Parts: sequence; structure tokens; C-alpha cells
Amino acid sequence: MSDDPTIGPAEGNQLLAAEYVLGVLGTEERRDVERRLAREPALAREVAFWEERLGGLADAVAPVPPPPQLWSRINAVISVPPPPVAAPRRSRPSLWQSLEFWRTFGIGAGALATASIAGLTYLGVGLSTAPPPRAPPLMATLGGAAGQPNFVAAITATGDGLVVVPAALLTNDPRAFELWLIPVGETTPRSLGLIEPGQPIKLTIPPDLAARLTPDATLAVSLEPPGGSPTGAPTGPVIAAGKLASL
Amino acid sequence: MDADASRRQLVAALARVAGGDRRALRIVYQDTSAKLFGVCLRILNDRGEAEDVLQEVYVTVWRKAATFDPTRASPITWLVAIARNRAIDRLRVTAVSRRMEPIEAADAVSDPAPAALERVELSQQHARLAGCLEELEQRHSAAIRAAFLDGTTYEEMAERMRVPLGTMKSWIRRGLLKLRACLEA
Repeated sequence: MSDDPTIGPAEGNQLLAAEYVLGVLGTEERRDVERRLAREPALAREVAFWEERLGGLADAVAPVPPPPQLWSRINAVISVPPPPVAAPRRSRPSLWQSLEFWRTFGIGAGALATASIAGLTYLGVGLSTAPPPRAPPLMATLGGAAGQPNFVAAITATGDGLVVVPAALLTNDPRAFELWLIPVGETTPRSLGLIEPGQPIKLTIPPDLAARLTPDATLAVSLEPPGGSPTGAPTGPVIAAGKLASL
Repeated sequence: MDADASRRQLVAALARVAGGDRRALRIVYQDTSAKLFGVCLRILNDRGEAEDVLQEVYVTVWRKAATFDPTRASPITWLVAIARNRAIDRLRVTAVSRRMEPIEAADAVSDPAPAALERVELSQQHARLAGCLEELEQRHSAAIRAAFLDGTTYEEMAERMRVPLGTMKSWIRRGLLKLRACLEA
């Protein structure tokens, strides 16, 4: 809103709408305007006016074809059927607060908080010296759109846990990072819980899903509102994905 | 395809998207994703971020197509507004202090914006906007154009154009009020 004494209050709303559309307001001011839009039709009309008129400025921007795989990502998100009836597992936070796995191998969580891709090697060593596993350990490198590794995930020797280690410094995004499993032959992502962008975490996987942690099953990470996806299906951008494979 | 036909096709596709037709979203995507990606990329100046935002934009279109009112807005304007809002919100969140190249008013004016060739293709309304912008003081229109394209805050604009914050606010606000009067005339 204007703090210029020569701009009258009648012009204030027009200006606020214009400033909102122009994009010069800060985040809090933007949210204020958006809240008011729902109950102030006059302000909404002003915003529509400016969107329509200023929109022409976008003609100055040269089109840039997005990478071909982007449509697949969008298609994957919109193909998800309505949320399942079952409550998402993230409502039980104690599930992923257990880090016995790390203590078992004498790896401090603090040291791993800074682990990058080096953690992958370390993890491999740890798993290979674990009590004899029934099957070869499965791992996945979850890459971003540009192919860079963002997370490394490994199934614990007991088969019912998944350790997820951040492999890259991700932006300081306030949103929640939610891990999904898309089992082989299925298209619906199943939530495995929230993970941390800055530290390794161990998720306990319920038996019905643990059985689906098989080679070629896909793991993916999406950005969600704090607390996780409100629908039980991914709602935000997928920032990393990869397939499970034997070491 | 002429502008009217492509607009009609887009309106029809959005109506089908509102009904849950994924193939229609694919059509909207094919017709508009390069434009919207360009808009996001210009604001975010980072391909990865722009890709994430573009994904959010089309998921938003998928969910909100029913709120698009073709009698009140053109489809491309509606899509550009969604893309810009998402990109600006992402820009504010990442809060990475982007290193801004200082720009002089003259540089901003030489921005590809009103290139003679492109103006031929501008719709009547866009041509009017260009005409009204030309009536403003050059530095005011330069500030408005740059703010729109880059999604910058008043503070960043003041820094970029090397004027006090109050001066920048005054330039843009006066420019906007004059622009509005011109557009309505």
C-alpha cells in the first residue's frame, strides 16, 4: 500500500492490486492481498484488470522449450487417483526417529549430517559387514531433473527399514520432503514418510510395503506442505527419483 | 494458426481439463509450456528451479482449470499469471540473494520488449499497453517493465537502478497510476 502522501486512499487499492500483479511486493504482503481477494470483489477486479493488461509484457520473454522429461513428471502427479482412505503414516513421527541403524555401524548422525555422496560408499561398507542378509542389499540413488544425485536410499539388512541420506545440499526450502514408493507394476505412489534434507534418517517400512521394496521399484521425493502431503498423494514437484537396484 | 483460433483452441482445451481430461492438459502444455518456461526462467534464472515451478504450474492448471473464466480473461494471460505468481513466490522463498546486474534505464528500455518485429504480433490490447508505456517517463516505464519481467521487489529494483527506495516506489507507483488512466481512457 502507498505511503506517499500525495497518493490518495481511493488510489491505494488500485495501486496495491497493480503492485501485486507487477510482483514488487514481499511474501507477507502478497499473502495479505491473496487473503483479501476472496472477500473483496473490487480488489479482485483490480487484480484481474492488471493481470490482463500487464500480461502483454510477457511477450518480451522468448519461449524456452522445457526439458522433455518434464511432461512425464507432470503426468505422473496428475495421474494419481484420489487420496486413499487410510491415514498417511506420517502421523506417527516416532517411526523415523529411530537411528539404531547408524549406531549399529558406529556412524554418528552428526558426521552423516554433512555426508555427501561419500555417504554412499560408507553405507555400502556398512551394509556389507552387517549380519548376513537374506538378499543382496538394495539401494537407490535419487537424482534430480538434471541427473545430479540428491538422496541415496538403502534398505536395511532386516529388510523393514529404509535409510535415506542426503547426497547434495538442497535449497533451504521450508516445505516438507516426502518420500514415495512406486512398486514395480504399479502407478500409485505410496507415502513412506517425511525425510530430512539435511540429515540421514531411517524410516521403518510396514510389512505390506516392505515386500514391495524390490529391484526396479521407484523411490521419489516430492516437496509438500509442512507436515506432508494433505491428500496422501504427491502434490508438489518431484525433486528426486531413482530405482532400487542390488549393490 | 491465427491468434483467435489458437485462443479458441486453448479455451476449449482448458474446459476439457476442468472436466478431468488429461489429454487436454497435454494440449495446453504443448501450446504454452515454452512460453511459461521462458517466463519462469526469466524470473528464477535457474533451470532446476524453473522446472520445479513449471511442474507446479501445470498441476495447478489441472486442479484449477474450472476457475478459469474465458469471459473475463484470455487463457494465456491466466496461465502467465499462474506461472508468474508461482515463480515469484519461489523466488521469495529461496531468498538466495541473486546477484543482480545493475541496469540503467536505457538498458531496460532496450530490453527485447517492444521490438518492432514482435509488435506486429501483439494483440490490440498489448499494442495499447505498449503505447501507454511509451507515454510514461522513460525511467518509470523501464522500472515497471523490468519489475514485471524479473519479479523483483521494490528494494531490489532500487538497488539495480541505483536510486533510493523511496524514489523507486514513487517512480513505479506514479507510473502505474498514469498507466491505468491511459489504459482506461
